[in-house]
Amino acid sequence: MKFANFICREAIRAHLDAADKEGAIREMVQSLLDAGRIAGDECEAIVKAILKREELGSTGIGRGVAVPHAKHPSVEELVGTVAVSGRGVDFASLDGETVHLFFLLVSPPDRPGDHLRALENISRQLRDDTFCRFLKQAKNREDIEQLLDEADNNQFGS
Amino acid sequence: MNPPKATRTVRLSNPEGLHLRAATLIAELVRHYQSKVSLHKGSRRAEATDVLQIATLGAAQGEEVVLEASGDDAEAVLDALVALFRDRFGNEDDANP
Repeated sequence: MKFANFICREAIRAHLDAADKEGAIREMVQSLLDAGRIAGDECEAIVKAILKREELGSTGIGRGVAVPHAKHPSVEELVGTVAVSGRGVDFASLDGETVHLFFLLVSPPDRPGDHLRALENISRQLRDDTFCRFLKQAKNREDIEQLLDEADNNQFGS
Repeated sequence: MNPPKATRTVRLSNPEGLHLRAATLIAELVRHYQSKVSLHKGSRRAEATDVLQIATLGAAQGEEVVLEASGDDAEAVLDALVALFRDRFGNEDDANP
């Protein structure tokens, strides 16, 4: 599954303001709300679902990357966004490092395959150091969109 | 002398497949052993200590994953891993991949 299939471009954030885990998640969910991809009255429930998932174990999987996610019945298809934090966020990551790159996913409960394929794509691209470096250096949303397009065209990853 | 080697084949029974939390549990488990462990799905290979590599396998429900270990505790680590797969990654609640 390509980024274009699930990343909402309008919700991409090149400069995350939040300094903590909950704040970062709220900011990204708010971006999806502002982009019209989730319903306003479901915003809080989605944030809570993502935080609940984090309680089971951080989705900060090392290398400065986190993939916060949750299932939620209010979405009809997998929707995600990308955010970059210049200063980094303490996400209780497996390797103890702060997180600079975020891929947030919200998926319908009955579509586990889509979630897995999105995760597979994100993981494959993030294994490429060049992709990660360029993403961290992105100055604006357009930079990130271009990187995601290049990744979709197999210019990164193994 | 070459270190002992072991191999097992497991089939993913949980609907979520080899999701991120499962990958994390695998990476955490193998760190308690000294053997070198890898997971294979078809031609794809992942180091068991690397969550990103495991997630890149994209192993879904019903698919087979081959586990390989090399080291003095190769059998023990694979026994523990097989138990983790059978236990559907320690969580009866598949709502939180």
